[in-house]
Amino acid sequence: MDLSLSTRTEGDRTVVVVGGEIDVYTAPKLREQLIDLVSSGMYDLVVDMEGVDFLDSTGLGVLVGGLKRVRAHEGSLRLVCTQERILKIFRITGLTKVFPIYASVEDAVAATD
Amino acid sequence: MTQHAGVQAPPGSGADGVRDIVSVRLPADGAYLSVLRSVTAALAARLDFTLDDIGDLRIAVDEACAMLLAHAVPGSDLECEFELTTELIRISVSAPTLDGSLPARDTFAWTVLAALAGDVDSRVDADQRVVVDLHKHRADASGAA
Repeated sequence: MDLSLSTRTEGDRTVVVVGGEIDVYTAPKLREQLIDLVSSGMYDLVVDMEGVDFLDSTGLGVLVGGLKRVRAHEGSLRLVCTQERILKIFRITGLTKVFPIYASVEDAVAATD
Repeated sequence: MTQHAGVQAPPGSGADGVRDIVSVRLPADGAYLSVLRSVTAALAARLDFTLDDIGDLRIAVDEACAMLLAHAVPGSDLECEFELTTELIRISVSAPTLDGSLPARDTFAWTVLAALAGDVDSRVDADQRVVVDLHKHRADASGAA
């Protein structure tokens, strides 16, 4: 299982749709995508993780890195995830307090936080 | 590529007579972690672990191996031994490393591993081979149920 990535624009946000498995082997691909977006001036991101089958701490590190990059430009990085086994990893590491996590892309795009 | 798996029933089996050892050796390369996750899930399912526990073990083994890969000698192999009994699964992953240092415990990786693995520990064997041991009981194995 590899990692799939696609991006689209919704309103003033860029939505990154991630699918497959995020581990030490595939995470660099996601890291490059986030770096490319920030380098292109896209600082308000929504990462849709509903299609993610597996996430480990390497993936968490990439998301934290992405968050730091957008915040350096006063941007934001919101996550979309309802899968309990993925959310569990965020809870264990305390990252539910760091990332705003929404149940749908619509909610994430519409949020005003 | 060196990749082989074997199943053997060693002498000295437990009182219930069920104790299998499964050994898997893979190149110390992140590309093979998904294979090891699949093996882990299949073995845990064989012991009737719950879906939640199977998911936890997949992540725990992945984390343990990813820690080792970061310091593994290039071109070496990652060795993973699963000991299966009716009540628990014991997993030992190891790889020869460049520096023989134990995995740091103040990381997301160790936090996730420790939370999901049940019991976990690490040590350094001869030749700077770093070993991470973890074991997890089946959810209903210790209770009256």
